[in-house]
Amino acid sequence: MLGALASGAVIAVALVLLLLSRANPESGARLRGTAIDLVAPVWSVVRIPFDWIGSGFEFAGDYIGAASRNRDLEKRVVAQASALQVQAATQTENRQLRALLNAVTPAHKVVASARIAGASGGGVVRSAIVSAGSANGIAIGMPVRVAAGLVGRTIDVGNSASRVLLLTDANSRIPVTIVRTGQSALVVGAGAALVEVRERVGVEVPLVAGDRLVTSGDGGVFAPGIPVAVIVDGSHEPALARPAVNAAGLGMVLIESAFMPLPATIPVNADAVAVPREAGGGRAKPSIITATPRAVASALPPPVDPPAPTPGTTRPVAPSLTYHPKAMRLPSVAPVLSATDTPRTTPPEAPPAATPQ
Amino acid sequence: MNRTAPYRLMSREERIDWWAGQWRRTVPGLFTLALVLLMTAPIFAPLPLMPQLGLLGVFVWATFQPALMPPWLAFVIGVASDLLFGLPLGVNATLLPLTAMFVRGFEARFGHHVYRFDWLMLAAVALVFQFLGWQAARFAGNASDFAPLLVQWLTTVAAYPAVVSLCAALQRRFIGQRQ
Repeated sequence: MLGALASGAVIAVALVLLLLSRANPESGARLRGTAIDLVAPVWSVVRIPFDWIGSGFEFAGDYIGAASRNRDLEKRVVAQASALQVQAATQTENRQLRALLNAVTPAHKVVASARIAGASGGGVVRSAIVSAGSANGIAIGMPVRVAAGLVGRTIDVGNSASRVLLLTDANSRIPVTIVRTGQSALVVGAGAALVEVRERVGVEVPLVAGDRLVTSGDGGVFAPGIPVAVIVDGSHEPALARPAVNAAGLGMVLIESAFMPLPATIPVNADAVAVPREAGGGRAKPSIITATPRAVASALPPPVDPPAPTPGTTRPVAPSLTYHPKAMRLPSVAPVLSATDTPRTTPPEAPPAATPQ
Repeated sequence: MNRTAPYRLMSREERIDWWAGQWRRTVPGLFTLALVLLMTAPIFAPLPLMPQLGLLGVFVWATFQPALMPPWLAFVIGVASDLLFGLPLGVNATLLPLTAMFVRGFEARFGHHVYRFDWLMLAAVALVFQFLGWQAARFAGNASDFAPLLVQWLTTVAAYPAVVSLCAALQRRFIGQRQ
């Protein structure tokens, strides 16, 4: 009787945990970080002899068919030499045009390089554990890549280990550009070897096998131009693509800073809405300055007109997929309004003309 | 380990032996935790080939030693596996104690049976486990397809004899008769 009661209590606690993690997917984030901290060192050590064996095989395999491979490569070098010259000219032109347009390219840098030290055992989640964590400067929502292409994104961070959501996971959404057509799309994991290409702009243009998909930079996590996948079957929707990187062959990965992290404050027209605290909106102190938005605006960069939608600056329209909060674990920071500000829900009648100072 | 006499009637040596043997009670739990840890091995396959070793551990120990695999211990193992696999907290934490309770009740109701029947029972339990785990993960926001989980179900069923013989060896070596 007592045993049944205890068992019932255990199940009840477990169900409450499940409810909590539905209400707040971030619950237990710290515990998850600690758990991978404990596991990663074990597998980092255990995998060493296997890595030795693997690199031994690779070393031996390099000698098999080396002559014919060398001939092929030399042929390819000759064929690509002229294309490289054209590319160099194009790059110079591109740089000059960017300078003319004052185009800003956010810098992204490698935060850490780490070894794969674990994987998820379940069929529901496709993730990897890497042996670098917050002590190495890693945060949630950083892109993980190798030279050949994109691996995924960090979703749990411990002190010395992190979990990477692989792009084959069903919760993974990667904004991509199709290189041949220039269309933007989303690469969605399917829990299988191949990924799906969904939400493509201009579905009437067929994709062909061999089309390359690279990150588009939309969303601000992944820098543009990282290879993601190659189409293997474009005959029907959604098209299927093979990821550029197979997690099975990975040793070390690079973790980069987010390409364009969401700003702490959303860029707003200072005349139109209340001024965020970070932008000088005052700290709950009822002052004249915060009471008159235009006075604050003088301390800010000149208010810009609502920009005309140009291809480079449009914010990506949210696709009509249902997002799981965990899949979109971005550092979401709501703008903090000072207490004296009253956010307006209606747009101002007419923006006052900028008075000369 | 085997209490032959009530504690009050034990001699001093017997009591020392009894206390020194208490660590053997932790063997099922620790071994199942080790199985869960093994599931995080950095092996990437296009299909989820890694069997549900945690479920197998709980199932086998619940048949061998129900007293040493109580639902609360299965709950602890479930929490550990949820944390290790990056699943929403509560998926395995709910299903593993349910498995332990089911096996207990089933054994108490129908008693012992032959090895093959256990295997069949595991196949059924694992299928329900995969389905409920899929639904629980979906409930907590981790949507996925069910087809890969069927592959994992097959590997789980295939891995059962290996886990049974491992657990049986541990039982013979460390625990002895059913508690």
